[in-house]
Amino acid sequence: MASSGIAAINLPRGTWLRAALRSPSFLAGTFITLIFVALAIISFVWTPYSYAVQDIPNKLHGLSADHWFGTDQYGRDVFSMILVGARTSIAVSLIAVGVGIGIGVPLGLTAAAQRGNLFDELIMRANDLVFAFPALLIAILITAVFGPSATNAMIAIGIFNIPVFARLTRAAALSLWTRDFILAARVAGKGAARISVEHILPNILNTLVVQITIQFSLGILAEAALAYVGLGAQPPTPSWGKMLADSQTLISLAPHLALIPGFCIVFTVLGLNLMGDGLRDIFDPRLQRSRR
Amino acid sequence: MSLLDIKRLTLDIGPIPILHGIDLSVDAGEVLGIIGESGSGKSMTALSIMSLLPPESRTGGSITLEGVDLLTRTEKQMCAIRGKDIGMVFQEPMTALDPLKTIGAQVAETISTHTRISRREALSEADHALERAGLPRDLYPRDRFPHELSGGQRQRVVIASAIALRPKLLIADEPTTALDVTTQARILELLRRLVDEDGMGLIFITHDLAVVARLGDKVAVMRQGEIVESGPTGEIFRALSHPYTRQLFAASSHVPARDPALPGGTPVLIVDGLVRDYRLPARRLFAAPGAFRAVDRVSFRIERGENVGLVGESGSGKSTLARAIMALEAIQSGSIAIDGTPLDGRSLSTRRKLQVVFQDPYGSFDPRQRVDTLVTEPFHLLGAEAPRGAERQQRIATALTNVGLEPADAEKYIHEFSGGQRQRIAIARALIIEPSLIILDEAVSALDVSIRAQILDLLADLSDRLNLSYLFISHDLSVVRSITDRVLVMKNGKIVESGNTAEIFANPQHPYTQELIAATPNLERALASRA
Amino acid sequence: MSTYIAGRVASVLLSLLVASVVIFLIMEVLPGDPAQFILGMNARPDTLAALRTQLGLDAPPVMRYFGWMLGMLHGDFGISYTYRVPVAELIGQRIGVSLPLAIYALTLTLIVAFPAGLLAAARRNTISDATIMGVTQLGVAVPNFWFAIVLVYVFAVTLHWFSAGGFPGWDKGFWLGMRGLTLPAIALALPQASILARVMRSALLDTLDEDYIRTARAHGLTRAQTLWRHAVRNALIPVLTIVGLQFAFLLAGGIIIENVFFLPGLGRLIFQAIGQRDLIVVKSVIMLLVFAVIFVNFLVDLSYIAVDPRLRRR
Repeated sequence: MASSGIAAINLPRGTWLRAALRSPSFLAGTFITLIFVALAIISFVWTPYSYAVQDIPNKLHGLSADHWFGTDQYGRDVFSMILVGARTSIAVSLIAVGVGIGIGVPLGLTAAAQRGNLFDELIMRANDLVFAFPALLIAILITAVFGPSATNAMIAIGIFNIPVFARLTRAAALSLWTRDFILAARVAGKGAARISVEHILPNILNTLVVQITIQFSLGILAEAALAYVGLGAQPPTPSWGKMLADSQTLISLAPHLALIPGFCIVFTVLGLNLMGDGLRDIFDPRLQRSRR
Repeated sequence: MSLLDIKRLTLDIGPIPILHGIDLSVDAGEVLGIIGESGSGKSMTALSIMSLLPPESRTGGSITLEGVDLLTRTEKQMCAIRGKDIGMVFQEPMTALDPLKTIGAQVAETISTHTRISRREALSEADHALERAGLPRDLYPRDRFPHELSGGQRQRVVIASAIALRPKLLIADEPTTALDVTTQARILELLRRLVDEDGMGLIFITHDLAVVARLGDKVAVMRQGEIVESGPTGEIFRALSHPYTRQLFAASSHVPARDPALPGGTPVLIVDGLVRDYRLPARRLFAAPGAFRAVDRVSFRIERGENVGLVGESGSGKSTLARAIMALEAIQSGSIAIDGTPLDGRSLSTRRKLQVVFQDPYGSFDPRQRVDTLVTEPFHLLGAEAPRGAERQQRIATALTNVGLEPADAEKYIHEFSGGQRQRIAIARALIIEPSLIILDEAVSALDVSIRAQILDLLADLSDRLNLSYLFISHDLSVVRSITDRVLVMKNGKIVESGNTAEIFANPQHPYTQELIAATPNLERALASRA
Repeated sequence: MSTYIAGRVASVLLSLLVASVVIFLIMEVLPGDPAQFILGMNARPDTLAALRTQLGLDAPPVMRYFGWMLGMLHGDFGISYTYRVPVAELIGQRIGVSLPLAIYALTLTLIVAFPAGLLAAARRNTISDATIMGVTQLGVAVPNFWFAIVLVYVFAVTLHWFSAGGFPGWDKGFWLGMRGLTLPAIALALPQASILARVMRSALLDTLDEDYIRTARAHGLTRAQTLWRHAVRNALIPVLTIVGLQFAFLLAGGIIIENVFFLPGLGRLIFQAIGQRDLIVVKSVIMLLVFAVIFVNFLVDLSYIAVDPRLRRR
C-alpha cells in the first residue's frame, strides 16, 4: 500500500535476470500466477464439461475421476466452472488495472510536471475524493443505477485504481524532477511532456510494475467480493465469488463447493503478491547497493 | 601506553576486504587527523572502534582503549562504552537527530542511558552540555526541535550529546563537510576547545588537507584500506616523504596552467538588474502570502574567454541566479542577454549558446541511456539543424576526445564509468553544441582532490583552446581562486563585492568577503602558523 | 498549527461538497427520471406522478440538490420509498450494528498488527520474522467473506461456539451483542491486520535505517532501545495513514460481511434498497459512509500533530 521506497534507479542490463532467478518469492509467485493464467487460457478452448449444463441427478457429487472438483447443487462440473471463473477474474482485474494505468499514469505524470500549480492541486484533491469511495461503494453506486454486470464491476474497480496509479506516478516522478539529469534535459530545451515520456516514464517503470502486481491481486479480491454480493458477473457466467455465494448455504452438506473457489482466490492473490514482493526486492536500490 | 591503540586492524565485509592491518594511536588531549579520499576506509576505521559496523563484518587485530580490547567486548559491554567512554559525531547534521524529539531530550539520552539520575537532573546536565557546545540556554532552549535549528546548530547538538559525559575519546567523521565555511571554522574552534578543556582524545576524519593541517596534532594518511604514512602533522607535511602524500598535497593546492583573459573583450553574458522572488506560504490564516527575494537586482557581465567565479554560502542565492540564467526559473524583473541576444526561455535558439555542468556525477545522467544519447541531448536545442548520421558520430567523437575519453565510449552505459569520468562526460555533453558560456555549478565539489585537479586542468585547457567562458559557481574559495579571472561574492541575494580574483583574495574590501576568506581552510597558512 | 488545521477542515468540507454532488448526479440525474427508475417500465402514469410529487421531482435538479443537502444538515434524509419510514430512522437502527462492527474489527486489527509488526522488525531475518511474514502474506490473500464462511463452518456449524448468523440486538445485553459480532469482526480484521503488520514492519525497518538511529546507537542505546525510543514514534506517521485508509475498508468490507452473517446493518440495508430500487436510501447511506471515511481521515490528519512537532508551528 504505502510504497515509500521508490525504485527509481535501474539495474544495469543482464543483472536483472540474475537477481530474479535468485529471488524465491519472485519465482514461486510467477509460477503460481502462470498456472492460473494458463487455466484461464485453457478455458477458451477446452473444459471437461460445459460450465452451463445442469445435470440435476448428478448434483453435489464429491471429488471423483469424472468430476475432478465434484459437482454443484445443479450438477454442474465445478472444475469447468473454476476454469471459466479464472478467466472472469483475470479479465475483470486486467481491464480494471488497465483503466487505472491508462488514466492514472498520464494524470500523475502531468501533475508532477506541473508540480505546485492549480492542475496538480486539482488532481491530488480529486484523488483524495475517490479514496473516500472504496471500490465497493463505487460499484454500489454504479450498479444501483445501471444494474449489476461484469463490465460495471470492471469500471468500478478501474475507477478506484486511477488515484492509486496517479498518486504513485506523481510521487515517483516528483523525486525524479529534482534530479540533475532532468535539469540537464531542461537545459537542453526539452519540454515537460517530452521529458516525462523520455526520461521520467522509463525510470519509474519498475515502481509501476510492482504496483501493477499489487493492484492486479486487489482486483481479483474486489471482483470476487462484488460477484459474491451479486454485483459482478451475472449467471450463467461462472465467477469464483458467485460460486462462493451459491455454496454458502450448502456448507455442511458439501464443504468442497465453498473451499475450492476460495483456495483458488487465495492462491491467485498469493501468487501475485509474492511476485510483487520479489520484484520489489529485485528493483530496490538499497538492496542493490548491499549486493554489490 | 596511549589512550587508544589500534594494532593490525583488519576488516572484511562479506567477501570484500576493507581494511588491511591499520596501526594508529591517540593520546589524551591529542587530535589525530585521518585523511583519505573516498573508499580509503577512514569511516570504516571509525565504525570499527565504535563496533557499529554493517552486518556480515569480520574484524581482526586489536583496538584497545585504556588497556581494554574493544574488539573482544560483547554488544552489551559496547553499549556501556559507547556514549560514555567514546563519543561520535557524524557528517550529516540535517539527518543525525530524531525529528520528533527535543534537542534537550536527545542530549539527555546519552546521560540517562549511562547514569542513574532522574530525568530532571539529566535534562539540566543536557543544558550544561548544550551550553558548552555553544548553544546557550537563553538563546536555544532545550525544548526546541531539530527542524527549528540550522545545520551548524544541529551539529552543535550532536556534539553536545557526544561530549555530555566527557568521554575519553571523541570520533568526528567529516563533521564539517556538509557545512558552510564560516560555520565550519566555528565548529573546528569548538572541537579544539573541547579537546583542550576535557583532555580527551579526538579522531578527526576528513578529506580536506587544510582542515587537518589546522587542527591535527598528528596525521594519518589512508589509501585503499591502508595507512600509507602517519606522524606529527608538521613533520609529515614538511617532509612529504611518501609519494601518495606528495600527490595529495600537490592536488590540494593545484593551480591549473592557463592564459588569463584580458579585460575588454566582447561580452558573452550580460545580466542586468535581475530579480527573482519566491512566494512564501502565509504564516497565519488569512494573512497575505509573503515573498522572499532570492536574487536581488543582480547585474554583471562575462566576456569571451573569461572565467568568472561566483561564491557564496548556502542560501546566498547563487544557485537560483544560475537557474535563472539557464532559463529554468521565471524572473520578476531585469534582463539576461547571451551573445547580444536577449534570453527567451521559450526560444531554443537563444539558449543554445549556454550549457551547464552539475555537481553530482552520479545524478547527472539518465541511467537508462547510452553515452551517445546522453551526450547528444543538447542537439535538441538545434531543432532541425541538429547533425545526423556521420556528422553526428563525428561530433560525439570530437566531444569525447576533447574531454580525454575514447570515441568508443559512446556505446557504453553510464554505470560503467567512475565519478571523474562521468564529470568528463558531463563536460562533453556541454561542449557538443559549441556554446559560448558554460555554467559550472559546483562541478568539481563532489570529486576527490586528485580527480578534481585533473578536471580543473581539463577545464582550463578547454577554455584556452576553444575560447570558452565559464561561470564557475562554488562554495570552495580555493578552487575559485585557482581557475577564475574575476570573482563575484554573493550574500543574501546581492553581489556584495566583485573584481579581479587575485586582488580580491589579496585585499578583500567587504567585511563578508573578509570573513569568508579568513574562514576558508588554507593549507599554507595552517602550516605557516604551525612552524 | 492553525493554518494546518484550517487547511484540513477546508479540505474536508470541499471533499464532502464534491462527494455529495457526485452522488446526487449519479443517483438522480444519470437515470433520467428517478421515479420511472424506481417504479420500473410498466408503472401506471398516476402512480408515477404521485411518486414524482412525493420525491419533489418537479423542482429543477439544482433545487433538489440543495433541498437534499439542507435536509441532511437537519438530520432529515427523506422518506424511504419501500419502507415508508424516514431514512434517518432506518439508518439509526442499522448503524448500531455497522459502527460497532467496524470499531470492533479495527480494535482487533490494531491489537494483532502492532505487536506482530514490532516483533517482526525487532527480530528481523529470524524465524519469528519469517513466520509473521509468511502468515501475513497468506492473510492478505484471503478474501474476508470467504474467511467468514470458513469461520461459520468451523465455529458455528461444527463446534457450535457461535451462532451462524443474525444479531440478538443490544437490548439483550452488551456481551451477547459482542458475541454476535465476534466472528464477523475476526473475518474483517484478518486481512487488515495482515496488511497493517506488514506496513508496520516495513515502516520500522525504514526508520531503523535513518541516520538518527546510528546517532542513538553512538549514545550507547541497545538495538531494542533505539527501536522503542526512536523508531516506533517515527514509524507511526506512515502507519497512521494506513490505519485511516483501513477504516474505510472496514466500513465497506462490513457491507459484505453483514450479508454473510445476516446482520441487520447498513450493508444489508443498502443491498435490500438496491434490490427494491429505493434510491433515496441508497443515496443517503452512501453519503453517510463517505462522510465517515472523510471524517476518519480528518482525525488521522489531526493525530499527526500529536506525533510530529514540525506541524505544530505552522
